[in-house]
Amino acid sequence: MPYIYSKVYKLLTKEEFANNAKLGKVLTRKCTKCGHLHLVTTYYCQNCGNKGFENTIIDGKGYIVTYTIITVPPDGYEEYVPYAWVVMKLDESELRISGFMADIKSPAELPLGTRTRITGYDQRGIIIEKQ
Amino acid sequence: MEKVCLIGAGSTKYGKLEDSIIDIALQASVDAIESAGIEPKEIQAGYISNVFGIADKQVHLGPVIMSNLGIPEVPSLSIESACGSGSVSFREAYANVAAGFYDAVLATGVEKVTHTGTEWTTTYFSYCSDFFYEGGAGASFPGLFASMARAYLAEFKATEEDLAMVAVKNHDNGLLNPKAHLRKKITIDDVMKSAVVASPLKLYDCCPFSDGASAVIICSEKFAKAHTKNYVEVIGSGRGGSPAALQGRDHITTIPSTVIAAQAAYKMAGITAKDIDFAEVHDCFTIAELVDTEDLGFFEKGKAAQAVREGRTKLNADISINPSGGLKSKGHPIGATGIGQVVEVFDQLTGKAGERTVKDAKIGLTHNFGATGASCAVHIFKSV
Repeated sequence: MPYIYSKVYKLLTKEEFANNAKLGKVLTRKCTKCGHLHLVTTYYCQNCGNKGFENTIIDGKGYIVTYTIITVPPDGYEEYVPYAWVVMKLDESELRISGFMADIKSPAELPLGTRTRITGYDQRGIIIEKQ
Repeated sequence: MEKVCLIGAGSTKYGKLEDSIIDIALQASVDAIESAGIEPKEIQAGYISNVFGIADKQVHLGPVIMSNLGIPEVPSLSIESACGSGSVSFREAYANVAAGFYDAVLATGVEKVTHTGTEWTTTYFSYCSDFFYEGGAGASFPGLFASMARAYLAEFKATEEDLAMVAVKNHDNGLLNPKAHLRKKITIDDVMKSAVVASPLKLYDCCPFSDGASAVIICSEKFAKAHTKNYVEVIGSGRGGSPAALQGRDHITTIPSTVIAAQAAYKMAGITAKDIDFAEVHDCFTIAELVDTEDLGFFEKGKAAQAVREGRTKLNADISINPSGGLKSKGHPIGATGIGQVVEVFDQLTGKAGERTVKDAKIGLTHNFGATGASCAVHIFKSV
């Protein structure tokens, strides 16, 4: 079934986010009023409602909170099966971030708590690897 | 606010249906109108819930449905809120009747997707996630709930067999429902041996993609009393939201929108979870039913697996959860599901549920959410 969509997300800082991810860093937005950290897609502070943010770059290291191993993929991911989609907690903040992890075949390969890091952003999404 | 009641309900069978999206929406709508014993011209507004009308080459469903019911002049609203579309639409219909804008309205939910195949549906359903972080990083919908399941099993020492018991129980109920999609008795072994879709979830942990339509007539108490003695009162309505992405939630094993919506609905109804005789909850995946029944207050956090293991959620046990068979067995035509739950409650509370009747039930609850619970509505109903 043919379908059409744009791979271009209207994310103001997407290029900058991707460039940081390739360096193992996460571009976040820090509320100028209360200091609460958010991922880059947020426009208003979820803690205090303030609109002002300053870019803050934090280290992309952390650990696995939960994940799945996908065997029935959405369109565009067939060639990567099996792969994991993971949620990781970042060491330097309370933030969690999710993304794509290649070549995971069984849960034995990825116990919860496994040390991980962000390594890039490409057509598969945010890329996360084991440390 | 006006007291709000239900006086009619109708549903197609859920499953792989041949008829068009409009045909099935009309079949359910006509059933609801006839069950209510009213004329279409008494309907003052239509609330139409649907997600993927585009798959059957028809969006802007409202006016097409109203025209074919012979009431083209009646206003309608088409509502999309992923898998929670039906309950969100019901809430809007409820609110407008409660506010006194309308005396009687039609709420119809419909979905027609099975002809598109598994890849199309898997892909399009992933658009209901927070796509930048989830669908756009390879997460399917089973994958998102599988992530919730892995966290739950680890935190509460539950097992994949516990998840399987939810599927077995809902299939047992669905066997008693002539309109259910998957009418097939299954065993824990069947679930455990089914193909892994997104670990730890297997095929039999997942609800099917279904076609189907459901409809109800919602009206003021005055309108209800003028037409019938066999009606149901809506005594609570609550809505809530959650961070759209799983990563944004402090605890992945609870769905904040369910907690918020349930608290609001209980408060409005002046009751607690203990007063609920049965509930239709959003069991799109087996893990969801465990999380839902805790978030709704039926069990303490982490205790739902044990309750299922002990059979406490079976039909006519402590609290009947998903007497219809739930999304798991009855099926999940996503735009219709939330309305279909209301149809089940109407049938239960008006003596039309046949073999799957919850004995002596007076109060029923519906719980339906969109995506991984980013949006949610809970409603509570009482027999009169």
